[in-house]
Amino acid sequence: MKFDYVFRRATASLILSVVVLNATLLHAQTNAGPSYDDILKGFDDPGRWLTYSGDYSGQRHSPLRQITPENAHQLRPVWTFQTGTTTRGRGFETTPLIDDGVLYVTGSNNYAWAIDARTGRTFWQYRRNLPDDLTYGASAPVNRGFGMLGNSLFMVTLDAHLLSFDRRSGSILWDVELADYHVGYAATLAPLVIDGKVIIGISGGEYATRGFIDAYDPETGDRIWRWNSIPGPGEPGSETWPDDPEILARGGGGTWMNGSYDPDLDLIYWGVGNPNPDYFGDLRPGDNLYSNSLVALEAETGRLRWHYQFTPHDLNDWDSNQMPVLADIEWAGEPRQVVMLANRNGFFYVLDRVTGELLLGKPFTATTWAREIGADGRPVVLNDGSNGCLPDPWGSTNFMPPSYYPELGLFFVTARETCATFVPEEPQFVPGQASFGGVVFIDNEKGSGALRALDVATGDLRWEFTYPSPTFGGVMTTASGLVFAGDHEGNFMAFNARTGENLWHYQTGSRIWGAAPMTHILDGRQYVLIPSGTTLTAFALGED
Amino acid sequence: MNLEFSVKSKQTDIWWFTRLLQQGMVVFSLIALPGLVYAQEVNPLESDPRATRAGGALFRAQCATCHAPDAKGIQSIDAPDLTTLWALGDRTDASVFASIRSGVPGSIMPPHSFPDTEVWMLVSYLKSIGNASNTASIAGDAGHGAELFAANCITCHRVNGEGGSLGPELSVITAIRSRQALVSSIRNPSAILVNRYRPVSLLTRDNRRIHGTVKSEDAFSIQVMDSEQNLRAFMKADLQQLTHETRSLMPEFAIGILSDSDLDDLLGFLDSQRRNRAN
Repeated sequence: MKFDYVFRRATASLILSVVVLNATLLHAQTNAGPSYDDILKGFDDPGRWLTYSGDYSGQRHSPLRQITPENAHQLRPVWTFQTGTTTRGRGFETTPLIDDGVLYVTGSNNYAWAIDARTGRTFWQYRRNLPDDLTYGASAPVNRGFGMLGNSLFMVTLDAHLLSFDRRSGSILWDVELADYHVGYAATLAPLVIDGKVIIGISGGEYATRGFIDAYDPETGDRIWRWNSIPGPGEPGSETWPDDPEILARGGGGTWMNGSYDPDLDLIYWGVGNPNPDYFGDLRPGDNLYSNSLVALEAETGRLRWHYQFTPHDLNDWDSNQMPVLADIEWAGEPRQVVMLANRNGFFYVLDRVTGELLLGKPFTATTWAREIGADGRPVVLNDGSNGCLPDPWGSTNFMPPSYYPELGLFFVTARETCATFVPEEPQFVPGQASFGGVVFIDNEKGSGALRALDVATGDLRWEFTYPSPTFGGVMTTASGLVFAGDHEGNFMAFNARTGENLWHYQTGSRIWGAAPMTHILDGRQYVLIPSGTTLTAFALGED
Repeated sequence: MNLEFSVKSKQTDIWWFTRLLQQGMVVFSLIALPGLVYAQEVNPLESDPRATRAGGALFRAQCATCHAPDAKGIQSIDAPDLTTLWALGDRTDASVFASIRSGVPGSIMPPHSFPDTEVWMLVSYLKSIGNASNTASIAGDAGHGAELFAANCITCHRVNGEGGSLGPELSVITAIRSRQALVSSIRNPSAILVNRYRPVSLLTRDNRRIHGTVKSEDAFSIQVMDSEQNLRAFMKADLQQLTHETRSLMPEFAIGILSDSDLDDLLGFLDSQRRNRAN
């Protein structure tokens, strides 16, 4: 009996070992998920979209050519996914990721899903149990997407945490706190995954907070480095602030929008938001670095390599949290590695991305704040906001992603023409309460929007398509000569990238706000996806 | 003994029940305390003018981004006009308190965790700028006003279920617009054009001219009510012309057409209709 028992145990162990071995072998054959090298390859495999902009450059320019200017009018909705969660006053701002036919989608209020890209049916749904005393996260309960590496997904939350998920089950692998949401922090962007690091930024510049950019270990969630967007006392940049640790500690400088990455230079490019308080500048004389700047950080260490400040001593809430777009272009007859950014202040900028040297700064809207950048690289300011007709606090454009079409040398951006009068007022600083420092009267009669094509060599307007109201929809281009864009009236549209001719539109039923399209190919069919309101819709050419 | 015991036992039971009830009430009170604060009908700061001032500062810092500095709302983000909160008589201080505290589910309005005192300050401020009682100066002959309304206005304006739809419904207009604003709108209707009643002129491909008011518009289409009060929609590509007019479809009622006394009577009629509705 005893022998029999032992024998049975041994047999069972052997069988178990074989099963485990088989499972291991089988596992080796299953999709282990995208590696860093896969993300690095960007659009080489157009069946994948593995990072917020599709690749690290931020160009949002897909090589797919199935949908063309000639057949774009045949685009049809294939499926619609209903999120069942609403966003107060903002948008469904996510960019879905796709790998192996599965879409990974985040939604408002920290919902998330894995969705079958063929049918729109879900594999799993996640909803975070959010506290009921959210601060900034309550007024803008949005999310812009996942980061992805291997079998892990990464998402930030409205209560300022970073989560790692198992992409197959939606279960949480680890959960780390980025900052204390009670005082005004929140997080909304899509984490940027680079080699061995998950990079995130933080929201909360309307509160007495201090922004930062962090790098975390994808395996453990351990923090690798932190770069503070407002310097500490005595640190470089602190000379642009009053000599007061308290003012620096609440200096704002949110880093709430995605950045881009140059793997060869190993530099991360990231925008920094407004100083706090937003409109009342008397308490913070000086340029207030690194608010309203683009910063280039060394990915390895988080050290600042260079910065350029678009709006020194900002009084208008013109966060510079726009997508920095990396490209290699010809500049004055020479090849140049540049970073381009269309800013809330109404200017389109081209900078050398190795050195930070300003190459071009030119208005792309009717901004009355300034009309030129001086020889010293600083704006020649004409209007502080008390006279009306600057861009409003939402800006000449905002975080809705633009697109760059290298073959045409055109930068496509959603432009907002607005008019506002700023009335500053000294605020009280209460933890957890916003301190805008005044109010803004927006003249709604004078608002309009446009999709604009800018020549990156000159900043000149090549063409535009106008919208009835200031729009928050993002842009994507495809190498077949198309621009896809959304507007505030809810239209999702395709344009001829060369001429601006509108080729197709579809009314989604809700404004397209903060979101930009993405595209992928599956079973030989090219899909284009756009989030709008509480829906995600997939379009493809009609099949007979 | 048995009887005594029995009685004592009952008393003990009652005592314990009472104790239980008292303890239960304490627990219940603790649970229900936030609810009781919500249910408070009267603003405890109502008679304190400092509360109104402090509420104004709070409003500008915390609410103006969505509701606009003048509290009249921002249509593009569905944030409503707060100056008319009390106008229709269906809101109380307590219900406004509850909306600030809990937010409006499914809307842009989030819950707020401000201390109760600060919420009441906001209620005080909103009430101070609200158009709750600006009709005291309206004292016309409602009977004559009704005749004027039937002769001049009813084709386009609806009051308590009767009338047209080309212009805004006027059943409660005296509660949400000042007398001065109403006089201005009647004498010079083009001075302020409001959303959903902006005039437009269209010319179709087959040369039909259509006047109407814009209900909605996007880059490709326009939805209007034409001057015959039909809801109509057009693709912009199908139009020869689309002109946003600056002149309202409503005629100007100059003093030669409608005397000051007639105008008072007309407002008197409208105010009587509002009061009938409120009752």
